[in-house]
Amino acid sequence: MKLYVYCLVDNTQTLPESLHGILGVLVRRLEIGDFSFLVSDFSDRTVPVTRENALAHAAVIQSVLKETTPLPFRFGTLVNGQQLENYVSARSEALRSKLEQVRGCVEMNVKIISDRDWMEEPQASETQAKPGTAFLSEKRREILGGEARAARAKQVAEWLKDQVAPVAKQTQIETLPTGKMLVTAAHLIEYERVEEFRKRVTEARHQRVDLHFLLSGPWAPYSFAHMDLEFETHFGVS
Amino acid sequence: MAFSPEPPHPAEPEIETAHPEEFVEQLRLVADSLPSRINIDAQGVEQGLAKLVLTLIEFIRRLLEKQAVRRMEGGDLSPEQIEELGLALMRLEAKLQELKTQFGLADEDLNLDLGPIGRLI
Amino acid sequence: MSFEQIIVSGNGDSLEEQELSLLETLDHVLNRGLVIAGEITIAVADIDLIFLGLNVMLSSVETAQQVLRERQKKSE
Repeated sequence: MKLYVYCLVDNTQTLPESLHGILGVLVRRLEIGDFSFLVSDFSDRTVPVTRENALAHAAVIQSVLKETTPLPFRFGTLVNGQQLENYVSARSEALRSKLEQVRGCVEMNVKIISDRDWMEEPQASETQAKPGTAFLSEKRREILGGEARAARAKQVAEWLKDQVAPVAKQTQIETLPTGKMLVTAAHLIEYERVEEFRKRVTEARHQRVDLHFLLSGPWAPYSFAHMDLEFETHFGVS
Repeated sequence: MAFSPEPPHPAEPEIETAHPEEFVEQLRLVADSLPSRINIDAQGVEQGLAKLVLTLIEFIRRLLEKQAVRRMEGGDLSPEQIEELGLALMRLEAKLQELKTQFGLADEDLNLDLGPIGRLI
Repeated sequence: MSFEQIIVSGNGDSLEEQELSLLETLDHVLNRGLVIAGEITIAVADIDLIFLGLNVMLSSVETAQQVLRERQKKSE
């Protein structure tokens, strides 16, 4: 019998009653140390990545968010009780500190698209060139275009960071290497300041009409629920 | 460990955008390039292997292209060398495309999720 | 210049709004969150798979080459 883990909260927190999660299975509270995990009992070895399951997972976490800010687990976390206990004992302090950081906060996301074409126009000489040379010239334009795009993405990321700094407790911005989407950002915002945050982003949008924005939230702090310790664990290889 | 009470929390997440189609298009690309997580077992061993090998070759191919363009920009290649290099890379790209088709793999299938370091390609 | 905004909630009407909502949700639950070593999910599983894959690949290079040669013969 395995446990499907949704999220983690502090023991003192009240949680919503009779929640149902993946495949309609009842969600229960499991206390380990100072922490409470929301889990479902599972007999299968795997959890298929389906629309229903992903939404069920998100719905459980969203319900918890109404009462308190949880640390969400990634979709598909299936473990046994011992693994969960080991997990807690190895990083109690880090988890406590993380919970404190996200307390009373939610995650808001901003994604930015630029429609612009980053490649230079081909020069006349390119079409007259021999095939191998023409091929490389085209690649050159693509690569240089890619570099121009990357520089712009970086600039946009810096700009966004500045715009929200006064209201964001923490910010994580990623620039994306390809595609129209330049930037994806996660901001940890105190719940009372979410409206202020929305206003700031709306004002910022007006400043940059060359860019297209998507604002989503509030979410549980998915993007901030990572333990730096884990990177070492991953490469320690067990 | 007593905490002061938290304020009441929010409703469902909202999405606000003036360009939903564009974002659907872009987010689909991201979703498509996610390796099929739990379905790894369902893949044929052969195809899984091909995917791995072709991903690595694709990665190297891109590095080679970048390097070739840098050398070209640097001006230390003769026109004949540029042509030869270009033709070789063209053939490599075509060959890789052929292999992808043979194994029924799409462009989005060729990637490796390296966990914390992100994706290879 | 008027500034058009479309607010999409989880219960959005159009198929597109629903898809956007789903994609955003997937982005969160599949890519982020706490990870436990030993789970059967992407980060750890795929790193193991890659190492496994590499081992399998290295020791099976000849087999792979054979497979590719056979496929080539078949398609000729």
